[in-house]
Amino acid sequence: MSGKHGHKPFEGHMHDYMAHVKAVEEDLEYYRAKRFEPRIIYLLRRGVATFYDLLKVRAALKKKDHFFQIGKPRGKNIEARVRYLEEWLDEYVKGIALVSARAVEGMDMVTEDNRKERGDYDDFFKIKKKDHHGALEERMANLEQDLTDYQELLEVFVQALIKRGWATRSDLEQRWKQLHEERPWAGGVIVAKAWSDPEFKQALLATGREALREMGVHQGKVGKLVVVENTDSVHNVIVCTLCSCYPYDILGDTPWWYKHESYRSNIVQNPRQCIKEMFSLEISPEKEVRVWDSTSDVRYFVLPERPAGSEGMSEKELANLVTVDSLIGAGYALEPAQLREREAAHLEPEMPRLRPD
Amino acid sequence: MNETSSKYKVGDAVIVAVENPTGNPRTPHYLRGKRGVIGAVHGVLENIRDHRGVHKPLYTVKFDLSELSSCHDQDSIWVDVHEEWLSAARRDS
Repeated sequence: MSGKHGHKPFEGHMHDYMAHVKAVEEDLEYYRAKRFEPRIIYLLRRGVATFYDLLKVRAALKKKDHFFQIGKPRGKNIEARVRYLEEWLDEYVKGIALVSARAVEGMDMVTEDNRKERGDYDDFFKIKKKDHHGALEERMANLEQDLTDYQELLEVFVQALIKRGWATRSDLEQRWKQLHEERPWAGGVIVAKAWSDPEFKQALLATGREALREMGVHQGKVGKLVVVENTDSVHNVIVCTLCSCYPYDILGDTPWWYKHESYRSNIVQNPRQCIKEMFSLEISPEKEVRVWDSTSDVRYFVLPERPAGSEGMSEKELANLVTVDSLIGAGYALEPAQLREREAAHLEPEMPRLRPD
Repeated sequence: MNETSSKYKVGDAVIVAVENPTGNPRTPHYLRGKRGVIGAVHGVLENIRDHRGVHKPLYTVKFDLSELSSCHDQDSIWVDVHEEWLSAARRDS
């Protein structure tokens, strides 16, 4: 297993194991209850893959035929085991992406169906998430068990799709390889170009995805894209108060707090205080704060201000200054000196997780 | 996209319905009955990856923060709302 952990950027050595474990717990339940199981239920209802298919596949499945290969922790200490949980979660999420609508023939499912199945519009249908409690050791053991169980259902589901002819193993293998390819993060590439090329910036602010098509970066497909610019007089912040809409098709996964109830409710009640308490960011009283609540078919991201001290840097260098948080308005782009500090401390650059459709 | 068939234009004062059982369900509760001003007209957006049907024209509506919460900062909340949730409001009423 490889892959960087997306939602805890710039982490070298871990200091707070419990925070890491809690983040894995939260994300794992999110992906299980909101992304994977609604998909199974949807296909179950339509007879694409039934409970009985899953049972039969499970009974006949041999270890050597497994689609997913999950490795072992690289050590017995706590840090190695926490990293193992994080990397396994990343693989699980990629596995869900593998069985997304785009990849599987006949899986005629759109986002709205997913929301219905998981109970966004009706609490009666809500899929319950697990509660977690206990001390670190107990929680880690529970997570290992949950991941084992959830991974097994994913394995069986993939095998059932192959067996029923909705996807071929070789297509899935090819897509699996693509899901593991490393490429520069589109957020950094886009913002660096907007800082360097005024014409592109104007096009990006005016036309969104059209401008991305011209520069040849992955332009995504979900909804209309609107880019809002931070200036001397305006600080923009993005939220989805109804769920967690975000241009993840371009930018990858959101930070964990973006989906969190406290962020989603506080940011529209008292934006300045919320930004200050959650992100230690004090917005100058000279600036107007604009919160953008993406409730429908428009997806937003923030074009942060170009940081001081970045004059004369190339686009490639500038891209490293762009953080995931700065595109939501929860932070500023890094000044070159801040980036150097992080590099000196051997902190990994952030690489958001690719999110399933 | 079809902006010509949209009922409101940028700058129009609008009020959000309190209830609208037949409307698109994705209008947050904190907006219900509140006044705002049209900030952007998106028209009818086709988003086949997300929806089976086509919804009514979409607007980004600007609300003063003080209209929505007890916070008195001079900030604003911009929310995407579909046309069936909106009706015209007199600007200073």
